[in-house]
Amino acid sequence: MMPESIVVNFYKSLAKGKIYGSRCKKCGHFTFPPKAGCEACGAHNMEMKQISGDGMLHFFSSGNLPPMKFAKYHPYAYGVVELKEGPFFFTQIEGVDVKSVEAIEEQNKKLPMPVKAKVKKMAGMNIVIFKLVK
Amino acid sequence: MAYAGMLREKPVITGVGCTKFGSVLATPEIKGLTFYELACQAAFEAMNDAGIDPKDIDAFYIGSMVSHTSHLYSHHTQMADWLGLHLKPGIHFATACSTTNTGVGLAAMGVASGKFRNVLVIGAEILSSEATDDPTKRKPLDPTTLWYWTDFGVDQAYAYHHSYDIATAYGGLPTLGYAKKYGIPMDKMDEVMYAIHKTIRTHSAKNPKAFIETTLEEEAKKAGFKDPFEFWKSRKNPFLAWPTRVKSALNTVDGASAYIISSESEAKKFCKKELIKIEGFHWSSSNYPWYGKDPTDWAIDKTSFETAMKMAGITGDDIDYLSVHDCMQIYHLIESEICGYFKKGEAWKAVLEGRTLYTGDKPMNTSGGRHGKGHAFAASAGAEIYEAVKQMRGEAKGRQIKDIPEVAVVHNHGYGMHSAVTVLKR
Repeated sequence: MMPESIVVNFYKSLAKGKIYGSRCKKCGHFTFPPKAGCEACGAHNMEMKQISGDGMLHFFSSGNLPPMKFAKYHPYAYGVVELKEGPFFFTQIEGVDVKSVEAIEEQNKKLPMPVKAKVKKMAGMNIVIFKLVK
Repeated sequence: MAYAGMLREKPVITGVGCTKFGSVLATPEIKGLTFYELACQAAFEAMNDAGIDPKDIDAFYIGSMVSHTSHLYSHHTQMADWLGLHLKPGIHFATACSTTNTGVGLAAMGVASGKFRNVLVIGAEILSSEATDDPTKRKPLDPTTLWYWTDFGVDQAYAYHHSYDIATAYGGLPTLGYAKKYGIPMDKMDEVMYAIHKTIRTHSAKNPKAFIETTLEEEAKKAGFKDPFEFWKSRKNPFLAWPTRVKSALNTVDGASAYIISSESEAKKFCKKELIKIEGFHWSSSNYPWYGKDPTDWAIDKTSFETAMKMAGITGDDIDYLSVHDCMQIYHLIESEICGYFKKGEAWKAVLEGRTLYTGDKPMNTSGGRHGKGHAFAASAGAEIYEAVKQMRGEAKGRQIKDIPEVAVVHNHGYGMHSAVTVLKR
């Protein structure tokens, strides 16, 4: 029998529009993205569980040193999202303006604001980004 | 609180060495040197400083992070004869940019266990260029490729592929978070970051082994600015990730650092220098990201500071000299408050008042830090151990802290994230 890769399954599921995290069967702690062990209690008994996709954006900005594979998307917003399930996740944010530092500053004053997860194909891969809920 | 184990005896630092930080393609003091020779320059300085006969070094630990540029694995086998330590126990080890902070604890445990009398620790890194098939020639390296290789140090399963943005995560958001937490207007925050930078440049200009040899004021004047703050805010210093400007970030450089850890009884046989005791150390590891809702609340550093300081039996009030990992200079504020060198929300005021200068009552990063001294990843922390020892021996010359520090605490981050803290006492 082939072993199941958590990472491969995570990305394969994104193609079907499903976003998985992992929940510890021992203590209930939720980890996102999914891992083999529980960061809270150390148990190895994790179940894959879909996230609600709801989150809060706490901060964002935009850097001028993007990695090679994301250079063509520069400038883009990158922010701290708190998932409804608990974990924090850093990713690209849609629906905010990063054209000027003044715009970034003004929008950050209004945070935290609700965001919703979205699967987007970027640099040849499906990834999870979050979109501002208007 | 993590388990705070104690050593059965307290080893000492007997010798330190450090090369000039710069580029092996251009900086006269290190120009043309290979990885081997760069490492030897620092190691031999440390051996001479300690006054130790190489035959009494029982083991050596050598750290290096980016194998793509050093073009080496098995640094320990390739370096054994270069170092004059043929057949000695050698290992390669790494915790990325905190490597040579971690090395203090590793070597101390080797000595305190009784297995070794004296251990040499070396860190070396070449980031300006990559090796070619001809060992006499190196090829300049573009920053995008360097960071592509460096980013192997951050979560490659998920985070990197989710639009990873190092400048925002490491610099922009912690700076924004600090300002928001303490109600500092953003234009005032820019002044604070300017003050931190001016301080580290004052230090690096007085450190002959630093990469940047000029003060900010001198650089501004040369660029045609009467007011250095106008220069700071100009297009010459754009935002790397708002509100973090380019000059608040590291400069990648080439360099090597080294030190020798000995048992106190052995040290007294050969070392004529003041012995610097290793009172405490601790390390903490976390995957990315290492913070959440509050970009200044870092459990990883709380863990390493608290545990190392408990091991040493000190509090933040006991620290006379603090060195923090400043690949982003905002960490001067965050780390100095985490360890209790300053009260929460007070560090930014202290910086504006010049208290963290070598002449101030709360000196920090007198080497010039990762911008002024430069950041040679695995060698960087060792350069700060070198600096702390020089300060504690009263050998720091033009940048000497007037009241020679009794207790020094050195903190470093390793990419992705690792936190290492070492407590030294004279």
